[in-house]
Amino acid sequence: MATAEVDVRAASPTLADANRDITRPISRPERRFFLILGAAMAGIGLGAGAWFYQIGKGIGVAGITHPVFWGVYITTFVFWVGIAHSGTLISAILYLFRSGWRTTINRTAEAMTIFAVMTAGLFPLIHLGRVWYFYYLMPYPSQRQIWPDFRSPLVMDVFAVSTYLTISALFWYTGLIPDFAVLRDRAKGLAYKIYGALSLGWQGTVSEWRHYRRLYLYMAGIATPLVLSVHSVVSWDFALAIVPGWHSTIFAPYFVAGAIFSGVAMVITLMIPLRWAFGLEAYITKNHFENMAKLILLTSSIVGFSYATEFFVAYYSADPIEIESFRWRAFGAYALPFWAMVFCNVVVPQALWFRKIRRSLPALFAMTIFINIGMWYERFVIIVTSLAHEYDPASWGLYTPSWVEIAILIGSFCWFFFWFLLFSRSLPVISIAEVKEHLAHEQGGHHE
Amino acid sequence: MSSGVLAQYDTLHGTVAAIERLRTAGHTDIEVFSPIPAPEIEEAMDIHSSPVRIWALVGGITGCMTGLLLAAGTSLGYPLVTQGKPLVSFPPFVVFMFELTVLLTGIFGLVALLVHARRPVINLDPNYRASFSVDRWGVFISADGDERIKAENLVRETGALDIEVKA
Repeated sequence: MATAEVDVRAASPTLADANRDITRPISRPERRFFLILGAAMAGIGLGAGAWFYQIGKGIGVAGITHPVFWGVYITTFVFWVGIAHSGTLISAILYLFRSGWRTTINRTAEAMTIFAVMTAGLFPLIHLGRVWYFYYLMPYPSQRQIWPDFRSPLVMDVFAVSTYLTISALFWYTGLIPDFAVLRDRAKGLAYKIYGALSLGWQGTVSEWRHYRRLYLYMAGIATPLVLSVHSVVSWDFALAIVPGWHSTIFAPYFVAGAIFSGVAMVITLMIPLRWAFGLEAYITKNHFENMAKLILLTSSIVGFSYATEFFVAYYSADPIEIESFRWRAFGAYALPFWAMVFCNVVVPQALWFRKIRRSLPALFAMTIFINIGMWYERFVIIVTSLAHEYDPASWGLYTPSWVEIAILIGSFCWFFFWFLLFSRSLPVISIAEVKEHLAHEQGGHHE
Repeated sequence: MSSGVLAQYDTLHGTVAAIERLRTAGHTDIEVFSPIPAPEIEEAMDIHSSPVRIWALVGGITGCMTGLLLAAGTSLGYPLVTQGKPLVSFPPFVVFMFELTVLLTGIFGLVALLVHARRPVINLDPNYRASFSVDRWGVFISADGDERIKAENLVRETGALDIEVKA
């Protein structure tokens, strides 16, 4: 995009500057870093402790019980899968469209994707209770010749999420190979050996680049429909059930838009402090944030439209069960989470119509925190209000998360940030090769 | 170590111009090191396609068939009707076919990169320099005798910053 290019040119970093500036954070971290890392590890300890307690005592220590058997765990699973979406989306789709502004944000967004899927993948295991039976979901030739039900969306989910994790990791690693060579060439001793092994002996020969470019293109090509398929499959966990509030054909696009919305918000939440901490203002410009803010505004509109459509479809169906389900969603026991969701996801992003807000990093940071909270509430509202208020009034009931679920929820955020912190100090947070490619062409193949 | 001339350039444009002149002068055994992906260099060296695409296609087809065979085969192997659906229910099976298509396309593609780029290697090419991952382009022309002298003169004319002659 032209605006991003102008900023890069104005800053005029050379190719050597790009190497130096982007690799600068990869050094012995200061005390502050270890303090933050320690806090994240303490949170992981809290979550792990609560999980072990649940394993020891049984799933009864979680708040999930009749009629709400899917609670915070499944809510958080969907939340993290959603967060995972924008990384590969930014990388793959914007690569195919040759959008120049993706160059400085794709690496961090892809890392976020992988850590978010790693976090999401824990929740179905935690939700199982007896976690050691998770292998029942895997298609393996057992003694009893029983296989998973390939007509079940839950089995589809296993395939979709594990494929997404694998492809996202491969896509990320492929992009990192030339940058590992950069790190290898400036390292000594053990670091040289580690980065050397990770770079696979990359030397930037014409043969390497030729196959690399083709592979990267194909990876982007296959990752694009994969992004769309994964959250569609997650949405079918709900839509294929005949629960009022779930059984809807709009779920796949509704979930995909929500996933992009929340994912881009999380990218901004992470990149603003990262840019400040590592002094990357010349590479991650306000134009990048403005473009992401536009994406948020678009997806917020789609999400808001989907909320309205759900209510309209319920009304238009003339089905009293469906109508009651949605009336209760807005005005029942969970009205507060519902209106918090509407406020955070639909009302707050409207400020992005103003260019000044789109280019104000404090405002964007605050707004994306609201969106992160709002999108967690969205999943909570969809899952819990529908199950709590199904067909038979005799089976209605309320759900309150227990301290175990809250502790594991907190632990999941700490787990995610722990990996992200490690990434930020051990790997280039911006793709060096892509930035240099951009600079070399911007400067007409010449640099000072 | 083969004999020849290693020239270093500090611009993509200069590197491409040098490759074109070298090829016009009859030098075809050229290795180029580049800090960035540059299709211009491939064009100058008359390289147009990569076999990665064949691997990706084979991987995709293999994945698609695996998805179908896994879902349909296991359903027929243990014929238990669920949800009142036929044993071989094509629409839900498409999801598995799709996911495995994507998975194996990616894995096969990465394997193709390793096979065709001949990676991983432990020892780097003796003509590789650390500056090639920073801001220099390297052009190594394999040549002996008079051809080497001719190549050296050519790279000097095309503005090479640094020239190493290897006997």
